[in-house]
Amino acid sequence: MSDLYGGKEGTTHLVMGNEAIARGALEAGISVATGYPGTPSSEVIERLAEVAGEAGIYTEWSVNEKVALEVAAAASFAELRAIAVMKQNGVNVAADFILHLVLSGTRGGLVLVSCEDPGYLSSQNEGDSRTFARLNEIPLLEPGDFQEAKDMTKWGLELSEQIGNLVLLRSVTRMSHASGDITFGPVPGERAQARFRHEGAMLDPEGGPMLALGLRHREVQEKLKKAVALFEDSPFNTYEGPEEPELLLITSSACSLYSREAIAVLGVQDRVGLLKMGTTWPLPPELMKKNLSRCDRILVVEEVLPFLEDNVKILAAEMAPEIGIKHFYGKKSGHIPSTGELNPDLVVAALGDLMDLSYEPVPAEFREQADALVANKAPPRGLTFCPGCPHRASFWSIHNALELDGRKGFMCGDVGCYTLAILPTGFSTLRTAHSMGSGSGLASGFAKLKQFGMDQPVLAACGDSTFFHAAIPALINAVHHEADFTLVLLDNSGTAMTGFQPHPGLPISAMSDNAPAVDMEAICRSLGARVEVCDPFDLTRTRETLNDLMDDERGAKVLILRQECALSPERKASKPYEMRVDTASCVGEDCGCNRLCTRIFGCPGLVWDEAAKAARIDEVICVGCGVCADICPHEAILKEEI
Amino acid sequence: MLWTGSFHSRDGTMNVFGSKELKEDVIDRGLCIGCGACIGICPYFETHKGKTAILFPCTLEQGRCFAYCPMVEVDLEALTQLWFGRSYDASPLGPYSAIRTAKAGPKANAGDFQSGGTVSALMDFALRRGTIDAAILTDKDGILPVPRLVTDPKDVYACAGSKYTSAPTLSELNRAIESGRRNLGLVVTPCQAMAVAQLKSNPLNESNFTDPVALVVGLFCTWSLNFRTFEPYLSGIVPIDSIKRIDIPPPPAEVLEIYTDDGKLEVPLAEVREKVADGCGYCPDMTAEFSDLSVGVFEGQTDLNTMIIRTDAGAELVAEAERDGYLILGDMPRENLDHLTGAAANKKKKALSRNREEGLLDATKDERPTFRLNDDIIEGLQGGGS
Amino acid sequence: MGAARLARDPYNLIITGVGGQGNVMASRVLGNMMVKDGYHVTIGETFGASQRGGSVMSHLRISKEGSWSPQIPRGQADFIIALEPSEALRLLSVFGNPRVRVLSNTRPIHSVAVIAGDAKYPSMNEIQSSIQELSADAWFVAATDEAVKMGNPIYGNIIILGALAGTGAFPMDRESFKTVISETFPEDRVDANVRAYDLGMEMVSRSEKAHDGVTLG
Repeated sequence: MSDLYGGKEGTTHLVMGNEAIARGALEAGISVATGYPGTPSSEVIERLAEVAGEAGIYTEWSVNEKVALEVAAAASFAELRAIAVMKQNGVNVAADFILHLVLSGTRGGLVLVSCEDPGYLSSQNEGDSRTFARLNEIPLLEPGDFQEAKDMTKWGLELSEQIGNLVLLRSVTRMSHASGDITFGPVPGERAQARFRHEGAMLDPEGGPMLALGLRHREVQEKLKKAVALFEDSPFNTYEGPEEPELLLITSSACSLYSREAIAVLGVQDRVGLLKMGTTWPLPPELMKKNLSRCDRILVVEEVLPFLEDNVKILAAEMAPEIGIKHFYGKKSGHIPSTGELNPDLVVAALGDLMDLSYEPVPAEFREQADALVANKAPPRGLTFCPGCPHRASFWSIHNALELDGRKGFMCGDVGCYTLAILPTGFSTLRTAHSMGSGSGLASGFAKLKQFGMDQPVLAACGDSTFFHAAIPALINAVHHEADFTLVLLDNSGTAMTGFQPHPGLPISAMSDNAPAVDMEAICRSLGARVEVCDPFDLTRTRETLNDLMDDERGAKVLILRQECALSPERKASKPYEMRVDTASCVGEDCGCNRLCTRIFGCPGLVWDEAAKAARIDEVICVGCGVCADICPHEAILKEEI
Repeated sequence: MLWTGSFHSRDGTMNVFGSKELKEDVIDRGLCIGCGACIGICPYFETHKGKTAILFPCTLEQGRCFAYCPMVEVDLEALTQLWFGRSYDASPLGPYSAIRTAKAGPKANAGDFQSGGTVSALMDFALRRGTIDAAILTDKDGILPVPRLVTDPKDVYACAGSKYTSAPTLSELNRAIESGRRNLGLVVTPCQAMAVAQLKSNPLNESNFTDPVALVVGLFCTWSLNFRTFEPYLSGIVPIDSIKRIDIPPPPAEVLEIYTDDGKLEVPLAEVREKVADGCGYCPDMTAEFSDLSVGVFEGQTDLNTMIIRTDAGAELVAEAERDGYLILGDMPRENLDHLTGAAANKKKKALSRNREEGLLDATKDERPTFRLNDDIIEGLQGGGS
Repeated sequence: MGAARLARDPYNLIITGVGGQGNVMASRVLGNMMVKDGYHVTIGETFGASQRGGSVMSHLRISKEGSWSPQIPRGQADFIIALEPSEALRLLSVFGNPRVRVLSNTRPIHSVAVIAGDAKYPSMNEIQSSIQELSADAWFVAATDEAVKMGNPIYGNIIILGALAGTGAFPMDRESFKTVISETFPEDRVDANVRAYDLGMEMVSRSEKAHDGVTLG
């Protein structure tokens, strides 16, 4: 958004939660913003990168989240304000550094923004990194709406500076990717100057070296106590409802919006009190005592783990002599689902049960009519590779090479668009799928099991961005330990799944169109691995090369399959072929074909025409890559160069 | 080649299923010998280094893959009726009109023949005469046999020489048919000949079917080796690239000879027999009974072949080849004939008995047998003799 | 523009389609238009993996009062706008109610399950008659087909926005639209987008309606 930086104080703008966070960082006067692409966090750095020039800030897509936090921490040590942005999985990658960072403390305000994905709408998993705040004894903030997303980011940076330590700000998909109208505040004109003061005494917090020493543990706890004192009066913790409600609903984050709406839907505004917490670790005890005293029945509504619920219960137990015994409802009682994301309907169901109210969203007559007419009529719409995606071609060749090899070989995968190859769209080729770079690590392990009788060929897949993020150490491990496996490096020139951000292998960075590109092929060769390079659209050569590599027992090998992502600007701008199906040649359902293209290959641009009993190109969807013409067994799909 | 759908059985006994049953009955049971009959028809079956692979599942309930496969639902009775107009009696050598000795004549290329050069000479002649427009033979790439379609008579000789591991030669036949070729000649093993016999019988009852095969020349075969186990075994003895030729000399040698630049090595045949394809143990046919004529070694003389002539077409071709100087024929000595008959009988009895013992000849309502034979033949396997 | 023009508060619209159809752009344009007209807007969206062929939904809450949940509760949609027709069916069973209005594109996008033959795509007749039976009003426009004629199927989402304005069931100001478009797109694309919007408005006045008249406000 063009006015992210230029937007004036007091003006109203419709922004995504992530844009609000970015604006909040600018209003706090940050100088540095780093991150690694991860849905739903990526827009924070994307938007800041767009205005970096006019705002005079430095933004970076770091090679991984650990390095991103280190780069942001350097800014903080140099007395600049900074944020590091990642999805929940990324916090785990940065965890080792977080553990040490909190011991050395920080100088300029530093906020770690974690955007999480309850219900794994755009992730393999749902995680909950709030525990990292408790684990590392740092403050945790959870914005409850879009205005707070901005305001709390700014306040979080101020808080960090006040206490001299890292602050964790946690958002979720339904905040980060949702949009709301907010009012902007002022952006400071002054730019801070960077200076790392380190000449002082060893434990001098302001001028000494920044050392993560165990003996500073107590300092960490003192800093946290300062934060708690500030939380007692924070405007981000609010109460709405009667002084003495029948039920107290405690919530945070996007769940506060669901809860408020659920209360309105049931019309129980004068029976249910809503305590929305924005500072959720540590919970300010006095505030909690005051609210817990209001009634005896307490419902906690949150995603994903019962973090808030457990912490409230601990406080309640401690305060029991003063506040009495409470009855708790939430995940443990089964009123709130223990997995998945929440929505207003789930909160309505919980409230309805606890308030003994039944609620029918629509008249029964409509519901029955709808069930009869439309329920289950819309066909399932599963995930698939985009039309023209090089991965579809790559996995076609990989799958076939494995079948031809015939020794029950398999491929280990990790995180990216190619993770979809656990599904039929990638011919169910990936047989393990875990974290970034883990496919290579697992493969390095499988390949050392020959002495125990393992004779299955081992492959691993990683993307170009993942290669830099995490796979290199695993590949080095494999080379050094002579692990006989083939790494298939799917180089589509970008971090595709998260929105096509750049990575070190490209001459583009967040700040430059002319950055030094790191040569992946050269890295692999320099490790001493056998390296082959193919265009995945050349199906025959790719498959033959793979079979040859699987027969080669000399240690770790790399096959780079290089072809640009279908969503890259270059490919979107051009259509190489005009495609069409020759209906007369199409064998279709009969013996000799059995609809190989539509039943198995599954590109969305190639549909089945039931009337003609033949395949047909959907010209709106097809991008003209031409690969389907190569898989048709009867040359019925024709490609004509444009 | 579009087929129109439902199967009409000839006499109600030969059933056609699909690739799912083919996988269950043949591949999963380890009976596949890699003849190539299922390859080249569709994109789902492929071959790699001698092993047949199914790339993706096909959902059709009936397919040519199943129909052609010589290891399941082979109706020996129906096929014998179709080819020879008589019942299948499990005679050791199958139906024939004459058995002669044969070798390449003066008109055929002098060359590096494995034995008498009869097959190469005959295919050369058949191409020149126009009996066939193309020959489907087996060439090799190192020690891996590779199917090859030949239209120039001179190219026939490159494919001479015994191959000891099974070759998916029929894949080339299927590809040739798919591309519209007709009037084809084949040099095939007994299992492949059975597959071709099924193909020629139009098992899916296609309405516009024409028989694309004009000549089937069979090869005698006792067993064939599984490339996937044989190649690693060899590479443990010498580097594969250094092998010039492999030969199994006649008994009583009991060795396999490996010829490299550095000379000849011998390995015990007993070790080699461990690499025989499992499916071969279930095959009752040693002399390629479903052929126009079949050819094998002549015991005791390395430059001579034994030839069994079966059909009128086969007899006619052989007579003309002899007349035109491509073949030299002789009389088959009694002793050799007896040895041949005994060896063939042995293989047949062992194989059919094994099929019966493992329940593979059961043809009750829901079962799919390997071979369909008349009940009296099956019962005859219980006692001695064949 | 004022609160009197919204039939309900919050007014709940869902824009649905398949990843890549410009669903997010449409909701953003509409949201910005309504913010300019003085409303509070909350938009809930799913994207990312959804782009890979999955269904996408944007939930828009338009209100004079404040922020609402980015997910509309069951049975609370006031207007369903479907860039892909079968997606309208999917939503009606969850968010539909007797008062809901539906505006749908007519061009199907087959999912891979349909392409593979594992699922059946309902006929357009079935889709249209089901939608008409379950909604208070329904409009069908061939937005993609017209967009292809304009030179790019992506204009389909703007044509649909124009069609929404054309139904008159929801207060949309053409001037606000033009302002938002000029702020969103480079100058050389503004005209095409405005033409697409106008085309959509015009198409609705030509299309079928389930009931006579259109309830305003």
